[in-house]
Amino acid sequence: MFLKIEGIKKSFGSGENRVEVLKGLNLEIERGEFCVLLGPSGSGKSTLLNIIGGIDGADDGSLTIEGERLEDMSEKRLSLYRRKHLGYIFQMYNLIPNLTVRENIEVGAYLSDQPLPVDDLLNILGLTEHQRKLPNQLSGGQQQRTAIGRAIVKNPDILLCDEPTGALDYHTSKEILKLIEKVNLKYGNTIIMVTHNDAIKDMADRVVKLKDGGIRSNILNKNKIPAAELEW
Amino acid sequence: MKSPLRKRLPRELKGELGKYLVVFLLMVATIGFVSGFLVADGSMLKAYNEGFAKYNIENGNFRVKEKIYPAQKEEIEKNDIKLYENYYIEQTMSNKSTIRFFKNRKQVNKVCLMKGSLPKKADEMAIDRMYADNNKLAVGDTMKSKGKIWKITGLVALSDYSCLFQNNSDTMFDAVKFGVAIVTDKGFQTLDKKACQYNYSWTYNKEPENEKSEKEVAEDLMENIGKEVTLESFVPRYQNQAINFTGEDMGSDRAMIIVLLYMVIVIMAFVFGVTISNTIRNEAAVIGTLRASGYTRKELIHHYMVLPICVTLAGALIGNILGYTVLKNVCAGMYYGSYSLPTYVTVWNGEAFLLTTVVPVLIMLLINYMVLHHKLKLSPLQFLRRDLSGKKKKKAMYLSPKTSIFHRFRLRIIFQNKSNYLVLFTGILFANLLLFFGLLLPSVLSHYQEEIQNGLLAKYQYLLEAPVSAASGNELDRLISMLEFSAGTKTDNPDAEEFSAYSLDTLPGKYKTEEIMLYGVDPDSDYVKVDTKDGVYISSAYADKFQIKKGDMIKLKEKYEKHTYSFKVKGIYQYSGALCVFMDQQKLNKTFDLGTDYYSGYFSKTKITDIDEKYIGSVIDLSALTKVSRQLDVSMGNMMGLVNGFAVAIFLVLIYLLSKIIIEKNAQSISMAKILGYTNGEIGRLYILSTSIVVILCLLFSFPIEETFMKIIFREMMLASISGWITLWIDPMIYVEMFVIGAVTYAVVAALEYRKIQKVPMDEALKNVE
Repeated sequence: MFLKIEGIKKSFGSGENRVEVLKGLNLEIERGEFCVLLGPSGSGKSTLLNIIGGIDGADDGSLTIEGERLEDMSEKRLSLYRRKHLGYIFQMYNLIPNLTVRENIEVGAYLSDQPLPVDDLLNILGLTEHQRKLPNQLSGGQQQRTAIGRAIVKNPDILLCDEPTGALDYHTSKEILKLIEKVNLKYGNTIIMVTHNDAIKDMADRVVKLKDGGIRSNILNKNKIPAAELEW
Repeated sequence: MKSPLRKRLPRELKGELGKYLVVFLLMVATIGFVSGFLVADGSMLKAYNEGFAKYNIENGNFRVKEKIYPAQKEEIEKNDIKLYENYYIEQTMSNKSTIRFFKNRKQVNKVCLMKGSLPKKADEMAIDRMYADNNKLAVGDTMKSKGKIWKITGLVALSDYSCLFQNNSDTMFDAVKFGVAIVTDKGFQTLDKKACQYNYSWTYNKEPENEKSEKEVAEDLMENIGKEVTLESFVPRYQNQAINFTGEDMGSDRAMIIVLLYMVIVIMAFVFGVTISNTIRNEAAVIGTLRASGYTRKELIHHYMVLPICVTLAGALIGNILGYTVLKNVCAGMYYGSYSLPTYVTVWNGEAFLLTTVVPVLIMLLINYMVLHHKLKLSPLQFLRRDLSGKKKKKAMYLSPKTSIFHRFRLRIIFQNKSNYLVLFTGILFANLLLFFGLLLPSVLSHYQEEIQNGLLAKYQYLLEAPVSAASGNELDRLISMLEFSAGTKTDNPDAEEFSAYSLDTLPGKYKTEEIMLYGVDPDSDYVKVDTKDGVYISSAYADKFQIKKGDMIKLKEKYEKHTYSFKVKGIYQYSGALCVFMDQQKLNKTFDLGTDYYSGYFSKTKITDIDEKYIGSVIDLSALTKVSRQLDVSMGNMMGLVNGFAVAIFLVLIYLLSKIIIEKNAQSISMAKILGYTNGEIGRLYILSTSIVVILCLLFSFPIEETFMKIIFREMMLASISGWITLWIDPMIYVEMFVIGAVTYAVVAALEYRKIQKVPMDEALKNVE
């Protein structure tokens, strides 16, 4: 198993204000799978994503990626782990405002010994003509495509997407989802996507629904459809 | 692959040009001035120190009433020293100043010719370069004295007069009213021989190994010479202000300037620290993303440190270039304006490079590293969530809803920017301290002059001097001389009141040895009204300098002997003109075995015209007492203007940078306020007025702290730089001036910030909102 989550628990606050966000959650994901985490606000989706990304720690339980336990890693090794295995895409893009599109992607490339060719990636992302623009000269969709480029240029094993279409309109969202699908097919990265959008589940290999800190359902989608055919 | 983040640096520089430019300019000015100062100071100090060997500067000198006989000379030289005649004659010149004439020196205390040529004819002279500058004299000019016209052939520096002290006991030198000159042997013969002072210089055949043994050797020497001749003065080199004052002053200036440099650097480093914190806050999401993507903390620390370090390095480089070229001459000019130094050669100063370049960069590096290391300690998630406090969130401070929203809004801005305002307060404190110093000195000096004028013991003090023949020769001659002296010093002036005077020295210790004048006054004196039945009164200047209180015991010693005297202080007499002791005249005469009828001078409200001038040793009047303030004004007046300008520059830069940060930090809120319909004026009242309130409070709260610091600094400065004492007096108007300068400087910054607020676009609020 590529990614194995066992008995993960996480709570915030203390005393009366203590909220248990994850209550002993178990999950396994295969390499190259496209996994969607669905659930209402406060169900623990983003917290789980952050724990998988090594930017938040669990209170209990273990998380193993290719046999390596994350909870045993030091801060330095966690940085290395993220450097080597992970790519992040956020709802709000988080691009560096005074770097161009190309340079923002190079920021990701710098972290890898064998990054994907930036020009090819710009082409795939449809950003070749915008590569010299600064983020504030781009539309939301273009900014998110740049953020995707930055995440995948180092060809990470896992692409973690936290509501990547949350701030985008219908058409742009579809464009982004098509792009993520294309990346998954072309490079074979494992994709874990947190979303509120129920329709996205149809393009995923695995759909995990969370509720009240636990898994309500974990289904392998045998009838997945291409992103282009999604409707909501 | 090099980090692509480096591509941000030039854009960051361009985007924040104003900020980096002012910091750069301040660095260039500070480092340039300090570097120039240290190079000039180092080069001149080297020339000064090398001068001891190069010009064979004496190990000491003594003065006697009459020329020493060869046998006496031989006996004195048995103390393993070599004696040199260094006679001089003082004459009042046509410009009412005094010149001390020497024959050209060929063996000891040799002369450095700085311009023109040495005298060759009997009516030619070469005068001290600084005295010439102060009196606007040049080579080729003439001066008149006692009917004789002297032609100036050259400007010189006498190695034993790097500082123009007329007498070693003088509080301060006066290079306007006193100068030295070199004439030919024939020229010396044409001067008034009766006024010849038989001064002898000595050099040790074997130099004492250290200062302690030099003191012991000098004390023994004094006793041994005293057995052969009657000493009028005895000044070993280590006590000679004309030789040592320059070197000591250069050393203390250096320390002060270095402290100034580091204070500016530390403040600038903190400004960078605050700036960086602001950048981190603005870029929290980006930092979180980079960290989440695998960028290490070290890589980000490195990235954010590059620009401050580059700006400091560039500032240090340009500053050093300016220091070694233009500013070196400015600083050397300051020394040439105060001291009669020989010519110097610029020497590479490794220490200056270390102090002005390496150490500031290290300080910058350290402080920035500490700030960044602390700020970037947060987890990637905290950055992504913009949860940068790192602490548990406190509840918002309660502000009564009864107060207007504008008041509450402003208070929230003040609370939000506490750390910025703390740096601002430190900066204001430092800038104001400099400004305080710049404004204080001229006011202290003018107050000192007023105080002296209003508090003179008498308008005129005549100190009488008995002729040499009254103390030497056969019994009959001595008696006749004494009778002549007694008759020649009687006056019919009804204002004249006799007093006795005796000089003692303070004991060496915490403070430098000072000459204390003991006045023996009539119990019913019209001039000094003290009750001296049991105990003595001391002048307020003496009490202030040595921190002596009523009831304390003071211990003084004979000038050239080891004998000491103790007196109980009965009270403090308000007199700032000198360090002196007042006691009953008869008691003084008895204590020093001077005879019951003895007196040594007169106090008088009017000029005494009926005593023989040859018996008047000196007249202490307003001009004599204000010499110290005059010279300090000449040598430090220009410097104070510079200090004030520098203080205002620091003030301006700090307020500009910090208020800019506050506006930038709130750009989104400002934009949102605009969208809601607030006018620029209203937004200005919210954001600028908050800083205005803090600036005004900082200015007011800084005053008592600055006053405390200034009392310490001023005392230490006066202890180090002058004999005698100038009491610190702070004119309340200085606080008003400081406040007005601070407020006006801030008004300029506020106007700039208002323009910035006007430029904040409304779409700012729509960007990057999570």
